[in-house]
Amino acid sequence: MVYYELKKVFARRGSRIALLFLPMVLAIVMYFIISDERFVNSAGDGENGFAAIRKMRDVQKEWAGELTEDKIRQVIEENQRILATPERQSEDIQQQDIAYSWTQGFSDIRMLINYSFAGFNDYDYYRIDSLSPEVAVDFYPNRIRNLKEFLDTDGKDAFSEKEKEFLIKKYEELETPMRYDYQRGWKYLFQWAPAILMITTMVLGFLCSGIFSGEFQWKSSAILFSSYHGRGKAIRAKLAAGILTGTAVYWGMVLVYTGVVLGIFGADGAGCPIQSTMAGWKSFYNMTNWQLYLLVVFGGYLGCLFMLILVMLASARTNSTAFAVVIPFVLIFLPSFLSGTSISILNKILGLLPDQLLQLNQVVKYFKLYEIGGKVMGAVPLLPVIYAVLGVAAVPLIYLGYRKKQVY
Amino acid sequence: MELRVTELTKEFQDVKAVDHVNLTMNYGVYGLLGVNGAGKTTFMRMLCTLIRPTAGMIACNGKDIFELDGEYRKILGYLPQEFGFYPDFTVQDYLMYISSIKGVRPAVARKRMAELLRRVGLTKAKNKKMKKLSGGMKRRVGIAQAMLNDPEILILDEPTAGLDPNERIRFRNLISDLAQDRLVLLSTHIVSDIEHIANEILLMKDGRIVHSGTQEEILAEVPTKVWSVVVSRNEVETWQKTFKVANMKTVPQGTELRVLSTDRPGLSAREEAMTLEDVFLYYFGEKAGAEDGIL
Repeated sequence: MVYYELKKVFARRGSRIALLFLPMVLAIVMYFIISDERFVNSAGDGENGFAAIRKMRDVQKEWAGELTEDKIRQVIEENQRILATPERQSEDIQQQDIAYSWTQGFSDIRMLINYSFAGFNDYDYYRIDSLSPEVAVDFYPNRIRNLKEFLDTDGKDAFSEKEKEFLIKKYEELETPMRYDYQRGWKYLFQWAPAILMITTMVLGFLCSGIFSGEFQWKSSAILFSSYHGRGKAIRAKLAAGILTGTAVYWGMVLVYTGVVLGIFGADGAGCPIQSTMAGWKSFYNMTNWQLYLLVVFGGYLGCLFMLILVMLASARTNSTAFAVVIPFVLIFLPSFLSGTSISILNKILGLLPDQLLQLNQVVKYFKLYEIGGKVMGAVPLLPVIYAVLGVAAVPLIYLGYRKKQVY
Repeated sequence: MELRVTELTKEFQDVKAVDHVNLTMNYGVYGLLGVNGAGKTTFMRMLCTLIRPTAGMIACNGKDIFELDGEYRKILGYLPQEFGFYPDFTVQDYLMYISSIKGVRPAVARKRMAELLRRVGLTKAKNKKMKKLSGGMKRRVGIAQAMLNDPEILILDEPTAGLDPNERIRFRNLISDLAQDRLVLLSTHIVSDIEHIANEILLMKDGRIVHSGTQEEILAEVPTKVWSVVVSRNEVETWQKTFKVANMKTVPQGTELRVLSTDRPGLSAREEAMTLEDVFLYYFGEKAGAEDGIL
């Protein structure tokens, strides 16, 4: 029965076209990723493509290891040495590019130093140029100092005392020195993950939107509901088909995307903390790239399934495929229109909407805190619990609602 | 096997689509005859558990069919008026799917499907997509799906609607062939469908069964007679206003009318044998066949 339900989903021409859209999206994303990676060679010329990726990896691997004070000092010293070279001092752009090529190996660490020695909400690309090697000792303390300063100034009214304590504690819990490695694979994987997961969810929403309502559109509902299993097992088969479709297509897309990105860039840096990257420096979630990856893909799976369950619920309740198909679009795009609001409570609500599960790599960067039972926590531990419970609760609603359908 | 309908009523807002119907059916072919909008489809859909009645009860061997739930549907085959299907399925896929939702085991389903496809003459079309089939072929797949579980109760709602005369005759023969040892309820507004195959006829009007019985009983109980009379063409309108006219035919002498009347309508009128079509006209009046041909 499930086999035929799956066949109903995939036999539609529209479904096949929608599925073909996914590899196209993947190809476009990979084009952007690969063309985004640029390496400046020792002659000061820019290179792109696979060769550039390999060369960048080679120079950055030279700086892999624990990000100790000594390593920070070395970076500052190396930067000062390059600053003093004639190439760097030259007015000629080509010469400057040659000097730049020498900094590529420690460019990621440079960013972290810039963050550490600027204010909490400031970023100055040239901050490292004015640092002396002796300040390397402040690299990690600065991260906590900057946070405290922020919480005493700009963030003063945005957080309760308990929340402030929570954030400081989390910052202090970060194990230092951090491990550093070349981690471009993870960077690009996370950078495009929300787009990939959202598009996959919308395509899946399209595929699953007709699972229940299609029976009324095809006028096959009369035969379905007058059959032995029509008000029982057949409905469970429909649910199973929706979940199987979501699972197969989601994981297919995620695994291909992961395989291609990490296949090209390598999985180096899997065990590095996310704070060892520019994107994760301020995060209070202490986890590695590998742990964040698991969070992103499993959280995304939960978010995708939850939206599919809502799609099926709408499809089953309204008998309208058109209404069901817009649900993922609304759930994904509407919060982004409302985001950035200064209304604190609205911000907190937005932080717990299901679209957040499709972009957990972004969520880990935000200071969205919730106090439940006197305990402060971020959105990350809450989101899976909320949507697992709601998703499981919605399934019987689909089953019972559809079971009672009348065919006029 | 007994299907008993007691005080069955279905209201849609203020309209009574089915109005206090009482009926008992056993094995045999029952023809439900009525004009469009008489309530036939609503009545049949209640028998198929697709619509819950507003009042009354349908019992199968003494048990409420809605309480029997799947156990009742297990012995039910239904061909709806608008036969919906999955356009991208092949005939074979479609029938195998329907078998699965009817609880027929795959091995049994394959055998039964082959047999039914042979009987409905679609063996060669089994790999064709449903959307590529002609109207007649679709109806034949429709009857095959209804028979997949070898149902004790077979409900066919306007099974010959939209078919050409040849296909209709073929379909009627097929239904007769399938009607052995089961209860077949066949609804139609096409009199000839019933005339040939029904053991018992149910006349439905405005949600009520206004008359029921064998064809002979119904013909005998109509309190009118049928007359044939030739009138001049300019008299036709007057006759139509005065009598129920079942048929008009142009002849060299004028127009030959087939008239329903208890008394001889004119000196030249000749009494004719009553047919089911005349009964249909008698009970349903001028509305009969207004939307579709009654033949």
